[in-house]
Amino acid sequence: MTVPPEKTAVFICHCSGNISEHVDIKAVKKALKAEGISVFDYEYLCSSPGQDLIKNKIAEKALERVVIGSCTSSKHGLLFKKCVRDAGMNRAMLEIANLREQCAWVHPEKADATEKAITLLRGKLKRLGHVEPLQDIKVDISPHALVIGGGIAGITAALNLADNGVPTHLVEKDSSIGGQMAKIGKIFSPDKLAEECAMCSLSPLMNEVAAHPKITLLTRTEVEAVRGSVGNFTVTLRKKPGYVRDSCTACGRCSRVCPVLVENEFNCGHKDKTAISMRFSQSVPKTYSIDPDHCLQLNGKTCEKCAEACRAGAIDFWQQAEVLELNVGAVIAATGFKEYDASLKTQYGYGIFENVLTQMELARMLGINGPTKGKLVRLSDTCNLDAGNSSVGNSTTDSFNAPPNAFTNVPANDPTLNSSESSSDNENLSDPPVPGRIVMIQCVGSRDEKAGGIPYCSRYCCMAALKHASLIRKKYPDTEITICYIDMRAFGFYENYYRAVQDMGVSFVRGRPAEVVQKSDKSLIVRVEDTLNQKILELPADLVVLSAAMLPSSGTREIAGVLNVSQDETGFIKERHSKLKPVDSSVDGIFVCGTAQGPKDITDTIAQAGLAAARARAFIADSPKVLVHELASINQLTCTGCGDCLSCPFDALSFSESGRVVVDPLLCTGCGYCTEICEKGAVQVAGFTKSQLKAEIEGVLEAGDLLGFVNSGISSLTCDNIGNSVLSYPSNVKLVKVSTGLVVDKELIMHAFRHGAASVLFVEDPPDNPRAEVIFPLALRHFEKLKEELGADGSRLHFKKAYVPNTKGLAGTFTNLAREGEMIR
Amino acid sequence: MKPIETVPDQKLLLFKSCMVGQEYPGVEAATRYVFDRLGVDWFISEEQSCCTGIGHYTDLFEGLTTTAIAARNFAVARKCGYPNITCLCSTCYAVNKEACELLNTNDEVREKVNSIFREKGLDELVYEKGDMDPRANFYHAVEILLSKVDKISESSVLDFSGIRAAAHHACHYYKVKYKDVIGNPENPQLIDDIAAACGADIVRWYEDRTLTCGMGFSQLHLNKNTSLQVTKAKLDSLKNAGVELMIHMCPNCHIQYDRYQPVIEKEFGVEYDTVHMNIGQFVALSMGADPYKVCGFQTHSVPLEGFLEKVGAI
Repeated sequence: MTVPPEKTAVFICHCSGNISEHVDIKAVKKALKAEGISVFDYEYLCSSPGQDLIKNKIAEKALERVVIGSCTSSKHGLLFKKCVRDAGMNRAMLEIANLREQCAWVHPEKADATEKAITLLRGKLKRLGHVEPLQDIKVDISPHALVIGGGIAGITAALNLADNGVPTHLVEKDSSIGGQMAKIGKIFSPDKLAEECAMCSLSPLMNEVAAHPKITLLTRTEVEAVRGSVGNFTVTLRKKPGYVRDSCTACGRCSRVCPVLVENEFNCGHKDKTAISMRFSQSVPKTYSIDPDHCLQLNGKTCEKCAEACRAGAIDFWQQAEVLELNVGAVIAATGFKEYDASLKTQYGYGIFENVLTQMELARMLGINGPTKGKLVRLSDTCNLDAGNSSVGNSTTDSFNAPPNAFTNVPANDPTLNSSESSSDNENLSDPPVPGRIVMIQCVGSRDEKAGGIPYCSRYCCMAALKHASLIRKKYPDTEITICYIDMRAFGFYENYYRAVQDMGVSFVRGRPAEVVQKSDKSLIVRVEDTLNQKILELPADLVVLSAAMLPSSGTREIAGVLNVSQDETGFIKERHSKLKPVDSSVDGIFVCGTAQGPKDITDTIAQAGLAAARARAFIADSPKVLVHELASINQLTCTGCGDCLSCPFDALSFSESGRVVVDPLLCTGCGYCTEICEKGAVQVAGFTKSQLKAEIEGVLEAGDLLGFVNSGISSLTCDNIGNSVLSYPSNVKLVKVSTGLVVDKELIMHAFRHGAASVLFVEDPPDNPRAEVIFPLALRHFEKLKEELGADGSRLHFKKAYVPNTKGLAGTFTNLAREGEMIR
Repeated sequence: MKPIETVPDQKLLLFKSCMVGQEYPGVEAATRYVFDRLGVDWFISEEQSCCTGIGHYTDLFEGLTTTAIAARNFAVARKCGYPNITCLCSTCYAVNKEACELLNTNDEVREKVNSIFREKGLDELVYEKGDMDPRANFYHAVEILLSKVDKISESSVLDFSGIRAAAHHACHYYKVKYKDVIGNPENPQLIDDIAAACGADIVRWYEDRTLTCGMGFSQLHLNKNTSLQVTKAKLDSLKNAGVELMIHMCPNCHIQYDRYQPVIEKEFGVEYDTVHMNIGQFVALSMGADPYKVCGFQTHSVPLEGFLEKVGAI
């Protein structure tokens, strides 16, 4: 389908100098105009005057084909497609040449960048000679949403969705929602200098979740599998038995008669609950449950004491796990964080010395529903009273193998703690003294480039330390508190809080402590260099509190695998764009919020959870949805119906009732495996047909070039990231996007060699997610087969896995291979 | 972090150490004794020279000479077919590793070193980029021992139970190349794990555990008082922790503790009961080696007889 040159136009974006300072736009215009093409340029094509320019020119000149030279199509591709569609043009008639990330930003010499820009535009122009209009494929979106994780992030997201009318399932693996926030007694707030009661803010929200008609709450439930895509996720859930029916009235009689004491994970390992219990007294749902690992009856012994005590007949030892299946349109992952294992920093003695604890453990201790009911104590004073007579040598070493939970040794003197009326007659125990000196150590695990440390700042710990210091000083004004810090980060309005805590008389020492030493009376010495005075200090302390880093929870790591979403190097779920798409995951329809996405405090978590809900609702509301990725399409005229392509690794191809081969748009990933198999060439991936690729290759190539076939997924992002990272490579590297390397056949490679390619490089996505795990080995095998078929020319074929962070490695490969090509030239 | 599975037991060039050779030859003899019994394929080359470490850290050898000598030793290792340089001394380990990195990454230095070789007609010593891998070709003997810890445990014949032992890991092993340590570089446990496998009652954490031995090369001679005070701090901590046996992995630490413990006792008016040995000597002893003919304890300054009697070795 040939179009006269006057019906085709090129639009070039200056990108406010990002492109125009590196590419001589006048020279580009001149070169293309000489070929009879009209060229327009504008400062920002992505702005609304920029788009109006495109639309007006399409109308004015009755354009039939448009090439836009701008930033990467992954940034504004959708915007420009919408723009040409508004002007009445099929989206296939638009091509975008990447003049920024793959040209202006990677070729420092203006002449090189200009020459490359011309070839990139020429490639796209040639490609437009071989396009067919693309049919929009639309799918219906399920109107239900799923929120995974019942902490403050998940609760906020679920309530926002439900209030917007979206039927929402909230899934929580524990027996109650509430998450980490429920553990913290008091929370800091940016606008007040006072500390607020966490449960007073959280509890009403939890009850609202339970009562909301649009929310289905599933506790003790985990997500096992997720199938499907784009607004039609089939989710398999497993709900573990709690052995107590919903008729439970939470009277607590069962717990009072239960003979088994167990470690309470909620109270950081304190042995203060029974095998039948509620997570905490404000639990939602307000139902007791049995710990199957410790219950006597469930472990083959005869007990049944709880069943006898229960007046509602709610105990059910025969309850089984249930497997549920949901169909949802959008998913929000709100699976939270865990505290860094501070025992990895052995020099601070966590897990060795009893009086070293973490901020979370201090928060539990200060909580009135905590193991000491809010009383500040030295843990060594609460356990064995004979601690005083142990010898000096033994005291520093014998407890090395002690379990890391600080409260493990606290005796359970009150098994009825969970009941609403807590007993007050245990005051006869001699009151342990209040610790007089507390030292807090910041950045334990965070901002630490050593092995086992984490390079990032965990964001919440400076404020948590200030909050605890303030709480303690208010309750025990004689307690001396010193905070050892690297930098205090009290961002925004929190600075007021920081200043107030300074005014309270809390001391600050700038320095990362070297070691914590225990003395014979179990008190501690913190050795630190005060780097402002350059003095070595030995700070005596009764308690040392470690502000441990925030890590993705195991639930976050697991769910990222189940949902097949990208993670960062630490394991947090990676947002698609840190500024523009902060809650979108790498998969359409899956969103993330709270500490599953990165370290943050409660205030930021709630803000982000609200946005995730808004994005999920918008995704669901946009039904039926137009699919953006390109799929396999069958030419029924040439298809012989042999059925070879039915070996599709995603089972996307099948015979219809009338015996024709058809493509399931929800299953097809557009990988191109079928195009390799079909001997008749009857299957092609729309947008990546052989004739289109051939044309683009002709346009971009010059003698001695390195031609890269880049997978349109992670690989393409990595190529863009080379530009974002201010790296460079020679301008004779020409990259052509393909759905995957599988669409490239021998003929295309021969074509590239004939048009000057010195060598050809396949850049493929690593097998890091379920789709790529299937495609990568196929692509590698395909590459090896091509190499063999090409005989002597096979040595000119190369293959490279592209990992997003490894921009340097990929740029290096480009440079090395391009240099070889230059030598041939 | 260096994964333990990657530690080889074949083609190891047991790199002779000047400090081991002249001060505690039993460390080398004991390591050879143990390697033989663990089925380790090792070789000692008579052509290998000193790494220059002592001279380098006392400012007698500048970097280029040290690097050129390292390149020569690498050629020796490759020529004899034992390219996995395995050091008894942590300074040899760090110097060799650093020199290899430099030769691989700094073209100017490599060219300079090679031009000296060519000028003198020593073309066989010329180092080509990548001839050695700074991660895969350099080990400390303690890493080889740790990789064979199960076999060591099986071969242990002496009963060390009830012996309170503690480890001192050398700073030139875990502080210089901290990204290549087996385990947590802030709390290395290599010696501890081996000694525990031999049945010792190991004190895994004690005050000042990560403090240096105090030697500091030229510091011992130029700032002797500071140097000995550091050593004293460490010995005090060991005493407080009730440690009878201190096990180390570097002849420099060995000298500082063993030779200078009596000096500190005299100068500071203190007394210590702690005895010292190298991890190679300890493992050899546990396998039943002769304390004098193999372990060479007669060259120690702090007498070990009381300890050896207690564990039934003499």
